[in-house]
Amino acid sequence: MKKYTFIIVALITFFISPYLTKAQAPAKEASVKVTGEVTSALDLKLADLQQFKQTEVTRKDRDGKDHIYSGVILSEILQKAGVTLGKDLRGENLTKFVQVTASDGYQVVFALAELDKDFTDRMIILADKIDGKPLLPADGPFRIIVQDEKKPARCIKQVTGIKVQFAK
Amino acid sequence: MKTYKHNMVFTGHKSFIILVLLGLITCLSGWSYINDSIETGPYQLVYPANFGNRINVPDDNQTTKQGVYLGRLLFYEKKLSANNTLSCASCHQQDKAFTDGKAFSEGVDHVLTTRNSMSLVNLLWARKFFWDGRAGSLEDQAITPMTNPHEMGQSLEISVKKISNTVTYPALFKLVYGDETITSDRICKAISQFERTLISCNSRYDQYLSNAYQPARQELNGMNLFMNGPNPEKGIRGANCAHCHGGAKTYKELFHNNGLDSIPKDAGIEALTGLAADRGRFKVPTLRNIALTAPYMHDGRFKTLNEVVDHYSDHLKESEALSTFLRGESNDIGGKTLHLRPEEKKDIIAFLDMLTDSTFINDPRFSDPNKIASKQKSKTNSK
Repeated sequence: MKKYTFIIVALITFFISPYLTKAQAPAKEASVKVTGEVTSALDLKLADLQQFKQTEVTRKDRDGKDHIYSGVILSEILQKAGVTLGKDLRGENLTKFVQVTASDGYQVVFALAELDKDFTDRMIILADKIDGKPLLPADGPFRIIVQDEKKPARCIKQVTGIKVQFAK
Repeated sequence: MKTYKHNMVFTGHKSFIILVLLGLITCLSGWSYINDSIETGPYQLVYPANFGNRINVPDDNQTTKQGVYLGRLLFYEKKLSANNTLSCASCHQQDKAFTDGKAFSEGVDHVLTTRNSMSLVNLLWARKFFWDGRAGSLEDQAITPMTNPHEMGQSLEISVKKISNTVTYPALFKLVYGDETITSDRICKAISQFERTLISCNSRYDQYLSNAYQPARQELNGMNLFMNGPNPEKGIRGANCAHCHGGAKTYKELFHNNGLDSIPKDAGIEALTGLAADRGRFKVPTLRNIALTAPYMHDGRFKTLNEVVDHYSDHLKESEALSTFLRGESNDIGGKTLHLRPEEKKDIIAFLDMLTDSTFINDPRFSDPNKIASKQKSKTNSK
């Protein structure tokens, strides 16, 4: 009898254990969606960002100290999504802008030409690290860092979406 | 000669034309009698320039005078609830800036809602609705309170049937949509049209912004504290409220964890996204008419504005999802909380009182149309 009880318990455990682990599944992973005037929409997670060339930008944070932010140049991400940059950034494409949205609803825009390296040397990156460490949860996991911009208002934190649009 | 000839022709048919005209007038007067004296045509949404034009009106639901008229009737229509006792206006009362004064509201089944009834004001500029922003339009939003068993608790199909079986509504739907068909989509659209007209822009703060009101000293002090972030090194005192509640509308459509709990009972936006950073994160509501919309927060936990200001000044609860701008903001060098002085708290509340718009809460365009009708009836009866 004891033997059967053992088998039944073992069987039950075997069948319900996947559901138990499911209930305790870790929280979802944050991502950045690249949409709008693109040829292929992207949904980038932290691991995807590592596939791009990594770039560092130094700028001051609210503490008044210089920090090294690392991540990917925004135009390289947009290029991958098929956005009209480089030789295609002319004519009506110069009326395009990039709207960046954070998880708290905050939004900022960049003209597409502000991001193109044929127009400017100033780097705008989608950062995932500060001084070599992951960004704090309240700032990250993704944050835009604008090199040399005097106000930090467009260094938008907790980025969730990047949408390329035509000005109407 | 020619002129004369024409006159002759005209005289010849005069009596016939008069008859036709008379017939037309009779028809038209009969038609307008059905529609009472309802104005038709595009509805002019009037607001100050400093509110900006980033408004949200769907292409397929442009605001018309007849649509707003119908929407207002439906907003106050108790037939839209399961036991004919509740309407939208039950939890959104005009004298309380379209809230109900309760932490949670009782539905048709006598069960309480899980979140506080939100103020309906300046919705024309909102793009996300509910405390967790889950609805992308007023049209979508309206479905939930009507059908939720703990609110009005009636399926849209039954609502359509009940509204169709009335004397007045089919003709009104024809006036608004071109035919008498009543659908749930048309009900939601009309209610949304009415809600978009709920514009509040005549508080003392609006008057101050248009140079028509000079605030008292306490109000000015409060305004400065409200607008400024604290900077103790430079001797600037502040409460930094405008960070989230700034602008002429005192609404920015943001979503934050404002440190109510370390472990929140209500997960807020996290329940939708599954992201830890969204834990305990809710809509930052408008502060317009805030003195009229107690109790406060998504769960109505604070009964007075004093409690709210005390919370931000001294009682923020630390957690991983606590929004960054609320961390380490202090009026003391090296301080952890805002630590406002008692008189500063009073000043801030004096400024918050400036956001009350009595024109808005008394505007007859937003009031219960049934009450006006019954008032008029009782007047006629007494005569």
